[in-house]
Amino acid sequence: MNREQLCQLKELMALEFTALELHLYLDTHPTDQRALMDYNSVVQQLTIARQRYQERYGPITYGEPSAYPWQWINEPWPWEICYE
Amino acid sequence: MYSPNDQMRLARAYVPFQIYSERLNPMEGLMKGTIFPELYFPYREHKR
Repeated sequence: MNREQLCQLKELMALEFTALELHLYLDTHPTDQRALMDYNSVVQQLTIARQRYQERYGPITYGEPSAYPWQWINEPWPWEICYE
Repeated sequence: MYSPNDQMRLARAYVPFQIYSERLNPMEGLMKGTIFPELYFPYREHKR
């Protein structure tokens, strides 16, 4: 995995984590409008980043389209990636 | 030991309600394990 791909993958992970955190916060604060706006904005960024990543590097979860040949079996597997 | 008949009350827990003010940027949040600065309590090395 090259540096560019790793960089985009990390960006994706960071956005996913932020979306999850805001999601959990909103579960207990459903009327916090600022948090909700922030959540929607992050989710929008995440959707774009995820789509861009998958178009370039293939699916990161099941139920996503794949280029030819079938990309799911491409290496490295997540646990083989050096994230440092 | 205290007997149950004493005027002791059972423990009660209180948790203040979190109010969203600011958040860390996504990468900093991911590395710290929270996006909320007010919830960031890293363990520090303990000197004995």
